[in-house]
Amino acid sequence: MTQASTNAPMPSTKWPSHLRLALLMIISLAILVMSVAIGHSRLPLDRVIPAMLGLNEDFIVQTLRLPRSLLACSVGALLGLSGFLLQRLLRNPLASPDIVGITSGASVGAVLFIVVAAGAAPFWQPIWAFIGALTAAAALLGLTWKQRLSVTRVVLVGICLNSGFAAITTLLLVMSESTTSAMAYTWLTGTLYGANSAVNHWLIPATVVALLGCLLLKRELAVLALSDEQQVGLGLSTLPIRLLILCLSAAMAALAVSFAGAIGFVGLLAPHLTRQLLPKHLPGQLIGCALIGANLLLLADLAGRTLFLPRDLPAGIFVSAIGGPFFIFLLARQRR
Amino acid sequence: MLPKFSRLLAVTAMSLMLPSAYAELTINHALGTTTLPEPAVRIVTLYQGATDAAIALGIEPVGAVESWVEKPIYQYLRGELDYTTLVGLETQPNLEAIAALQPDVIIASEVRHAKVYDQLSQIAPTVAHETVFMFDETLELVAEVTGKADAADAWLAQWQADADAFQADIAEQLQDDWPQQVTMLNFRADHARIYFQGFSGQVLADLGFERPADHLKDTWGMKLTSKESIPSMNADVAFVFMEDDDAVQQTYQQWTAHPLWQTLDAVQNDAVYRVDQVAWNMAGGPLAARQMLQDIRSHYGLD
Repeated sequence: MTQASTNAPMPSTKWPSHLRLALLMIISLAILVMSVAIGHSRLPLDRVIPAMLGLNEDFIVQTLRLPRSLLACSVGALLGLSGFLLQRLLRNPLASPDIVGITSGASVGAVLFIVVAAGAAPFWQPIWAFIGALTAAAALLGLTWKQRLSVTRVVLVGICLNSGFAAITTLLLVMSESTTSAMAYTWLTGTLYGANSAVNHWLIPATVVALLGCLLLKRELAVLALSDEQQVGLGLSTLPIRLLILCLSAAMAALAVSFAGAIGFVGLLAPHLTRQLLPKHLPGQLIGCALIGANLLLLADLAGRTLFLPRDLPAGIFVSAIGGPFFIFLLARQRR
Repeated sequence: MLPKFSRLLAVTAMSLMLPSAYAELTINHALGTTTLPEPAVRIVTLYQGATDAAIALGIEPVGAVESWVEKPIYQYLRGELDYTTLVGLETQPNLEAIAALQPDVIIASEVRHAKVYDQLSQIAPTVAHETVFMFDETLELVAEVTGKADAADAWLAQWQADADAFQADIAEQLQDDWPQQVTMLNFRADHARIYFQGFSGQVLADLGFERPADHLKDTWGMKLTSKESIPSMNADVAFVFMEDDDAVQQTYQQWTAHPLWQTLDAVQNDAVYRVDQVAWNMAGGPLAARQMLQDIRSHYGLD
């Protein structure tokens, strides 16, 4: 496994770290406000901001746009953090929840719900997806436990699980009629459509708790950057740490995809963008990664619901379209 | 919000003055019970069959979702939807676009829109059908919310009469060979399908067609991925619909060139008919059902 994730070049030190983070926070807030102001119709800021703060009643802002933007923030932040932890744990820059099978486990749960439980209340779909994701995570743990969660083993088993679950999803789709498969494809693309504030009431606090949990683990995360030999040499037992980080990463990804569908790429891209944009200071990286993940999904959803009006397209289509070019731009700039 | 509120006030005031003229409508449907202060005029239809049903009743929706093929509106409905605003995809209709139209009622489908039912209901009273293809019940639902139940009853009575006439005509033509067993075939880029139920299944059953014993299952149909399964397509008559796509045509050529294809009764009877995928599968409304009946009559040379 390569060491690239920990050897990412330091961003230029022109801007001190806390200033960069503060700037990122301001930009994130601006993107959030913009995402609520722009849509099928453009709303003036003096209408949007008071409504976002709950000072005015506003149907479009409070019922249609804000819940969706807030869901994008939670899901994006969770996916970003989940990817960050996985890349640290596996010391592999290609690791992300959609590569080690957690997302495709959730997909099996969700598609099974759409195919088998058609007619059940939509409330249950995230729960089926969540169970699917946890099943995948449990399988990943179970199959790598004897090798003490060895990095190579986790990656390989994860990739196998991923294709196994993808095969089950394909099988389910092959056996279902077109009415249901249209809904399943939307889920598999990943969408924030139909977000409601009831979910946000607990998903946002859960996201904040997850971020705090990651911040509390900063020392453990620092240890994971060392090679296996170094860890052994220092007399550290890293198995409990690895178990904890893997479970936390899986739980965050499971939570995110249960509500937004199989959104890919955020978990891969957000940690990379973070390393490119923010100094190596770990707490700053964690907060920054959550913010960057949130922004990626906010912008992707904004593109999905405004670029092809009157169509409201799944955000999953646009994540790579938004994040990819930006990442390549950063890489190219680095080389110069 | 204000115009809607004042309209509500006006309606309330009028109903106080004329209690008999504006009776409330209460509709039980797939996702609950919805009350309308008066029959709806501005309707938004969120699935293809509901748009078709509205046009069948002479109502032009203020908003409708775009079609699956022949985008954005099926050929057979063009010219009927001149003042209709498109509100995006059937799977994810644009809620803001719907709200901007200030409809009196929204007609949705449980399989598509259960997740956004609460939000739709906050935009306007929303009713939903369980499916997207039961054209007769869709017609009744649209008629109920628009106060056109009489027109729907008349349409359905005419449909029944025409179905009876078809059965009498075809029994006379085919004598002992009627009733026939029918199969609906669909070819895709990488597989073939047999449809048992769904929209065309219901129309064919209304017209007195029977199905092979293997096809009498309580599912939508089956996918065939191997040409070795061709014998399971067997029936007296086969209707085939597919997209006008090179890959699909190629699959069709390959499957029909297979020796097993020649063993099918429908092929030997020279009774394999190409039909329009929109009218036979994707539209799912009463006008499409009439188009199917017309197609079948002409294939049997009854007109």
